[in-house]
Amino acid sequence: MKALVWKDLCVLLKQMRIFIFVILVIAVFNGAFGNVFIVVWAAMMPFTAMAYDERSKWDQLAAMMPYSIRDIVLSKYALGWLCMGAAALFSLATQLVLTILRVPTAALDPVGSLLGLCASACVLAITLPIMFRFGVERGRLVMFLMIFLVCGAAGAVSSIAMDIGDGALHVPPLVIAVLPAAAVILTAVSVPLSMRLYQKRTY
Amino acid sequence: MNAIELSHIHKSFGAFSISDLCLTVPTGTICGLVGENGAGKSTTIRLMMNALRPDSGEARILGVDVNAPEFQAVKEDVGVVLDEAYFPEVLDAAQVGRIMAGTYRRWDDGLYKSYLRRFELPEKKPFKDYSRGMRMKLAIAVALSHSPKLLVLDEATAGLDPIIRDEVLNIFNEFTREEDHSILISSHILSDLEKLCDYIAFLHQGRLLFCDEKDQLLEAYGIFTDSAEQLECLLPEAVVSREENGYGGVRALIRRDLAPAGFQLDRPTIEDIILFTVKGAKEA
Repeated sequence: MKALVWKDLCVLLKQMRIFIFVILVIAVFNGAFGNVFIVVWAAMMPFTAMAYDERSKWDQLAAMMPYSIRDIVLSKYALGWLCMGAAALFSLATQLVLTILRVPTAALDPVGSLLGLCASACVLAITLPIMFRFGVERGRLVMFLMIFLVCGAAGAVSSIAMDIGDGALHVPPLVIAVLPAAAVILTAVSVPLSMRLYQKRTY
Repeated sequence: MNAIELSHIHKSFGAFSISDLCLTVPTGTICGLVGENGAGKSTTIRLMMNALRPDSGEARILGVDVNAPEFQAVKEDVGVVLDEAYFPEVLDAAQVGRIMAGTYRRWDDGLYKSYLRRFELPEKKPFKDYSRGMRMKLAIAVALSHSPKLLVLDEATAGLDPIIRDEVLNIFNEFTREEDHSILISSHILSDLEKLCDYIAFLHQGRLLFCDEKDQLLEAYGIFTDSAEQLECLLPEAVVSREENGYGGVRALIRRDLAPAGFQLDRPTIEDIILFTVKGAKEA
């Protein structure tokens, strides 16, 4: 599975540069909302990798190699989690620097980033099974749904949270408890479902 | 032990189906899989690698049922080259090597790099900028660099220039010098198969019309080139099929065992046998 994640990271290398640039811009100009948005956006990376796979028909070659269906499916989840984690860390590091530099839009908010991580894990868990069943080409409608979810999730977190003037989001404790649980439950259901759907599509 | 054993495989896709496919490739041999476009060669390869589930029948590779959990480990021993090299186009040969090193336990990076040099493949050039021939060479280099016991090659020599093709065929020949190494190769270039293979399997519209030793095939048939009247002297079942040559004469593929002793026949090529067999099957 490590080889598959490495393959996707190599494929996404160019995308990553643009991604890091966009993260920087959003982090500097859009504080707390940006922190959540970029982490949720990072959850889209597996779809870009899947689009490259489809374009090159990598799946046909992978089926001949010693990868199990579990490896193939889990590698996309792992890629999503890696990108989300890296985006959250990068976002926090940027906000820390901006806070130290006393930039007015700085919003060092670990809780907001954690919520962003959970929201994006939910987005990933909902959309990946559909992509594994229908593929990225036919799953364009799902992409629209996902963009809606990305914006909706970021907007929802922002509206639930209270901005009390320090630039950070203050989220009710119930939401902080529910979102991680939802992410874990959805992921636990999503992974085996994706494996089953991918197997069905392949065979 | 047989390298490949397909027993009564059936797979239907609606309009097209693979029917009652039985194919055996003994260990240590090279089998050429021949058939027109859409005959089912690539489907057969997908079925034998468990990339596609048959409706019925059984497939065993290197003695292991492809549905058994152990088959995952057997894939380490199988090098596959598909009709196109399906690597993501933004990768280069060096990155492909690193990915394969994480994929195959017996990956030999030194061997891989020696193939890259031998095939004159630049390590840092993106795959999308490779020509078709270069792409196929990269796929062949990958297939050979993890010490496989079985090579499965689907149109692997297509797109290669004659010089490289000859070199690649020599590499395949070298590969089978180890007695437990075997190859299944599908190709439209029948002269390549005639040069390389011990066995020829012929698929036509999803059915295996024959799978025989090449030398036996070449001895079993003869080419008749003379007048139509002379051909009429033969038993109808001795004539596989015939074609007019435009000057009142005919050319036909004849079964030697049904022709009278001393009847003048030329040695056929594999291409002759395939083309006349397809014609015969269409006329039947």
